[in-house]
Amino acid sequence: MTTVTNPAAPAPAPAAAGPPGWSVVTRVGSVPAGRRRLRYAAGRVIVYLFMVWVTVTVVFALPRLLPGDPLESRTDINGSMSPERHAALTATYHLDRPLVTQYRTYLTGLVHGDFGVSIARDVPVGTLLRQTMPWTLLLVGAAIVLSSAVGFAAGTGAAWKRGGRTDRELLIGMTVLNAVPEYVLAVVLLIVFVAVIPVAPIGGGATPFTQSYGILWKMQDVGRHLALPVFALSLGMMATKFLLVRNTTVGELGQEYMVAARAKGLSPRRMRYRHAGRNVLLPFVTVVGLQVAFAAGGALFVETVFAYPGVASIMLPAVNQLDFPVIEATFTILAVTVLTANLVVDLLYARLDPRVATA
Amino acid sequence: MNGGQRTIGWIGLGILAAFAAVALASSWIPHDPSHLFRGQYLRPPSRHHLLGTNQIGQDLASQMLEGARYSLLVALMAGAGALVIGTTVGLVAGWCRGWVDTAVMRTVDLLLALPRLPLLLLLGLYVGRDTPSVALVIALLFWPATARAVRSQVLTLRRRNHVRAAIGFGAGSLHIVCRHLVPALAPILTTQFLLASGRAVSLEAGLAFLGVGDPNRMSWGAIMQQARSTPGLFYGPAWFWWMLPPILAIVLVLLGMTFLTVSLDHRFNRQLSRHVPGAA
Repeated sequence: MTTVTNPAAPAPAPAAAGPPGWSVVTRVGSVPAGRRRLRYAAGRVIVYLFMVWVTVTVVFALPRLLPGDPLESRTDINGSMSPERHAALTATYHLDRPLVTQYRTYLTGLVHGDFGVSIARDVPVGTLLRQTMPWTLLLVGAAIVLSSAVGFAAGTGAAWKRGGRTDRELLIGMTVLNAVPEYVLAVVLLIVFVAVIPVAPIGGGATPFTQSYGILWKMQDVGRHLALPVFALSLGMMATKFLLVRNTTVGELGQEYMVAARAKGLSPRRMRYRHAGRNVLLPFVTVVGLQVAFAAGGALFVETVFAYPGVASIMLPAVNQLDFPVIEATFTILAVTVLTANLVVDLLYARLDPRVATA
Repeated sequence: MNGGQRTIGWIGLGILAAFAAVALASSWIPHDPSHLFRGQYLRPPSRHHLLGTNQIGQDLASQMLEGARYSLLVALMAGAGALVIGTTVGLVAGWCRGWVDTAVMRTVDLLLALPRLPLLLLLGLYVGRDTPSVALVIALLFWPATARAVRSQVLTLRRRNHVRAAIGFGAGSLHIVCRHLVPALAPILTTQFLLASGRAVSLEAGLAFLGVGDPNRMSWGAIMQQARSTPGLFYGPAWFWWMLPPILAIVLVLLGMTFLTVSLDHRFNRQLSRHVPGAA
């Protein structure tokens, strides 16, 4: 931030300065701003599609390049399997086909939303995903919303009262939280709220055998099970966002447009959110987007600690058993979600700050 | 504030030095970490077993010491690996500029955007789960951050007068890089190394915690994994000497690295702002 530009500040009646529709943006270069923005968006989407293809291919190729046999997970108790049965199963899962054919089948399936059948569990992957995906989405979504709201509010608040006691304490606390991995936080929460003060359920997504209970009770039950995992996943992300927002806001508060805003006699609330906050939003949105990737990884840990019935419960066994279809499906969905989040951030960024697309 | 930063730095250094000393004192490990003491299952801390025993009668204090050595080893190897790759790439990108720079930085952006942990799981399958492989995979995932920091630093350095003077005297690229750039980059490289090592510690423990680490090593993460997969752990007292020590160890090492990084960062930034008016 070198200039005093503030997109949030009310424009000083541009119509008076030139012909109707005059603005700085349209005069940069010869191409109109609208088309520049469109070109920017199209470029982002093309890169995105390319990345999705690369990811899908890597996810297909990497596990298949490994030594190991996914059918090992299907051996009986004696750990043996007759050659005929092995051959039959190999044929069932198309593992005898050439890689190119397997790749084509895989891509066709993906386009149709068909992820194949799990080798280790002999269940369609779609069924497994329907059982686990909603839990992970609930957990990750709640954690991102919670950490963003608290991180942003606390960050601007601390910057507003910078140098004060609360600011210093928050700064130290958040720096510590930022350094601690989420599985450590999860176990600490488990120790505190399950072992020492038993107030929370030890794990799982909901209490089993409660089908006959009312909807309100069920929602409450899900919430109770969700609380600790969400905290474990949010705290680290919240700390990262707090530090970013606090430091960026401190920088913005020293800018000249803030002096102008104060001179105009604007209320502190307006200055804090509409002027300083608006400019902090840019780096903030970037970090929120990047944290989707982080949350997706962190959810694996947190779900494992709390035995949460999310995607980790099928993903980690699949990795150990070389269950190709499940590996492919879970990793592809994860990677595509993250890439999509990044695309959304890029496009949103251009909307928040038109200079990105037009410069 | 200044004194506070310095104190924090010394605390961090002290913590790290203590762990390094413990890790190096290899002959001091009281028992073989994998030896099974028959009949002494889940014993609380005592004179014979300083941190008690686990569910199959292994001495937890010995496992913790073994784990310290392993964690710090992985941290050093992965941190150094990420540093070497990141510095080389960053130097090349910042020095050559042009299409090399564009290509390299696009790759860096791409790698930074991908979800690391799942990628680590997949790559770990492919490369293997022994110690050097784990370190290598972590290094392969964490060099982009270093590369980006080094590149931006090189871009400002090459405009400095002494570098321009060297170019004017006809110095070769290699000479300038080794003689002028690398020494000036030392502060950034130090903090980047600490950052990468910290991430390596937490990721290595995390992998073992998920049960996909080196199966032949008794790391902190592996101790946590065994404790976590014991049913009813949190309904008894055993978590106190079984789960808590590895957690405290990980947190302490990470805090030590963070404190040291914060303090060094502060110090280097001050130096920078003194030499270059307007920087920082």
